[in-house]
Amino acid sequence: MNTNDPANRDEALRKLLKVWRTDASLPPHFQESVWQRIERAQTPVSPSVWAAIAHWIGTSLPRPALAVSYVAVLLAIGMTAGWEQARQKTTDVRDELGQRYVRVLDPYLTPRE
Amino acid sequence: MKKGVLILLLGLAAAAVAYGCMYFGCTSCVRVLQHSDRPELAWLKDEFNLNDAEFKRVSELHAAYLPQCRGMCRKIDAQNAQLQKLLGSATNATPEMDAALVEAARLRSECQGMMLRHFFQVSQTMPPEQGRRYLAWVKEKAFLPDYGMNEKP
Repeated sequence: MNTNDPANRDEALRKLLKVWRTDASLPPHFQESVWQRIERAQTPVSPSVWAAIAHWIGTSLPRPALAVSYVAVLLAIGMTAGWEQARQKTTDVRDELGQRYVRVLDPYLTPRE
Repeated sequence: MKKGVLILLLGLAAAAVAYGCMYFGCTSCVRVLQHSDRPELAWLKDEFNLNDAEFKRVSELHAAYLPQCRGMCRKIDAQNAQLQKLLGSATNATPEMDAALVEAARLRSECQGMMLRHFFQVSQTMPPEQGRRYLAWVKEKAFLPDYGMNEKP
């Protein structure tokens, strides 16, 4: 008998399994836990947020149209934020200087030395 | 990946540079005012669009007013000190205390009259429209009913 032949090997294994008996009892919920392990192993792992961002940076961002849009949007955001902050600062400084003018002229508000 | 990171950094750098240019560009005017010799007068010139001749006249009026203001400060301080002295040892209102309060009110009235005269003089030095705007602004700041209530001395 050629045991290297797959058909013969399966036949031998089948015979062996037919005569095989065991007294060991299965743990509780054995079948259920086996299926759960199989399901867990088959569930695709979702990539992390950082991995997704890194993937996007590596693949999508270098596209010329997207790269130009990205830089243009950040440029606009920077300009708008700078303008808004400057506007606020200018208003505050002008108010402060106006108050200072009144304080200099009003003896009740003039800082004492 | 390397190219993507480079573009990412380029975008962030562009935003930072744009912010800085816009901020420092737009605040350069007020920085000049703040760092001038007399920021409050520099502000007045800028706020009311005074030309050099008008500004020179306003500066002269301002310089002439300041000694009067300092004199008034001394009177107010002396009056306040006297009032505090009377109040410190008092358990009842006394004629001296009444007199001190009357004098404090008289000083305030005198002070407001002096300021008002100065404000009118300054407004007459400005072009008519700016003069009216200046008077409206200064009245709001120095002569409203809650005058001095929210100011930090």
